[in-house]
Amino acid sequence: MDSSNSFFWTFAYDFIRGPMVWAAFIVFFAGTLFQVFRLLSFTKEQPISKLTPGPGRFIPKKADDKGKKDWVMWLKLSIAGVNPFMTIVSTIFHVLLIVMPIFVLGHNILLDNSFGVSFFSLSESVSDFLTIIVILCVAVFLYRRLFLDRVKAITTWSDYLFLSLAAAPFVTGFFAYHQVFENYRLIISLHILSGELMLMAVPFTKFVHMIYSVIIRLTVVSEYSLGRGNRTW
Amino acid sequence: MFWKQSTTGVNTKEVKAILDEKKAKMKLSLKACAHCTLCAESCFLFMGRNKDPKYMPSYKFLNSVGVLYKKKGKVDRLDLGEMRDLIWERCVLCTRCYCPVGIDIPDMIALARRVCRSQGVYPQYERD
Ligand code: HEM
Ligand code: HEM
Ligand code: SF4
Ligand code: SF4
Repeated sequence: MDSSNSFFWTFAYDFIRGPMVWAAFIVFFAGTLFQVFRLLSFTKEQPISKLTPGPGRFIPKKADDKGKKDWVMWLKLSIAGVNPFMTIVSTIFHVLLIVMPIFVLGHNILLDNSFGVSFFSLSESVSDFLTIIVILCVAVFLYRRLFLDRVKAITTWSDYLFLSLAAAPFVTGFFAYHQVFENYRLIISLHILSGELMLMAVPFTKFVHMIYSVIIRLTVVSEYSLGRGNRTW
Repeated sequence: MFWKQSTTGVNTKEVKAILDEKKAKMKLSLKACAHCTLCAESCFLFMGRNKDPKYMPSYKFLNSVGVLYKKKGKVDRLDLGEMRDLIWERCVLCTRCYCPVGIDIPDMIALARRVCRSQGVYPQYERD
């Protein structure tokens, strides 16, 4: 790094590790709250007595039988039954995407240094293994986007952008841990930057499906709602 | 678009007014769609047409309502004609589509139908 650049780099490094972390978390939490209330404002509570949700619920055979739900049938008719492979890949991907950042040792050390609190940490070899699993899940998504006609039919450039953005913290975290490149500072800055961009993107981009799916499927009545929603669009 | 689309024969103001009524819900739903195609199998027409991607629920709303909002209502007769084939011939609005994210697909297709109908675009059997 030559000296004419070093001022810029020091500034960028400090900014990414300092104020921008705060900015990212504030944007993420405030944006999420905003979208939750906005989504709730699109729907309204309604007394609904007729609709009981769920494929797999049958007309009762006997009068005292309240129409018990057939959970095996329910599962078969859900995406888990129709597309088990994608259900497994997607579930692993999403659980790790949310759980990993909380339990990675590197993150807990930072939390401990700043606030004196930390969560239980995964051992480094476990998180390293799980990071590889996430990257493999992303590879499956990428393969589908590139080669399956049905996915290609509705893919836009932004799908690649957001898939990369979701993968970036894991790829750069992996590189940082293994010190694959000489310049550790550069890689860890890229890691933190991508993590921050991802967090800030959640309430305002395609990632908003996190908020959308939780709020809508839990609160709106439909054949497929989860739980006993009593709102309608 | 860098050229101006001819919208002759379409009352774009009227289209825009219909779109604005449900703008917030529709734009958020369009954004939330993960483009994952997992809704495909829930549509019996997709299953019955050799799994042709053009019958996927998401393909149908992205290329009707999605286009209407992207162009802010400034569509031409050709666009509307293409939409007619999608939202009437390839969808019967049975409301059975299942999206894991919870997107209200039938409502989106219904809105596209409303827009088309307002411009006199609908299938022959609705004419009489
Ligand atoms: C927003 C601020 C963030 C900061 C300051 C940060 C910082 C760090 C640090 C210092 C490490 C340790 C690297 C090493 O061991 O040398 C690390 C690892 C890691 N981070 Fe982050 N990170 C952030 C966001 C994220 C996000 C949002 C995700 C995932 C969604 C993430 C996923 C990971 C993973 C998976 C590892 C471990 C990689 C491995 O062990 O192979 N990070 N992070
Ligand atoms: C509780 C929260 C969430 C739920 C219920 C959820 C649900 C879903 C569903 C149902 C899909 C489509 C199925 C698939 O292709 O895997 C999907 C796709 C996706 N999700 Fe999530 N999601 C959540 C949170 C997130 C977050 C926080 C991110 C990233 C920041 C994210 C990133 C993605 C990506 C990149 C895809 C597209 C994969 C592809 O390209 O096909 N999700 N999500
Ligand atoms: S409508 Fe739902 S299931 Fe269909 S592609 Fe969009 S997010 Fe996936
Ligand atoms: S409403 Fe249309 S897209 Fe949805 S399942 Fe029925 S025919 Fe298919």
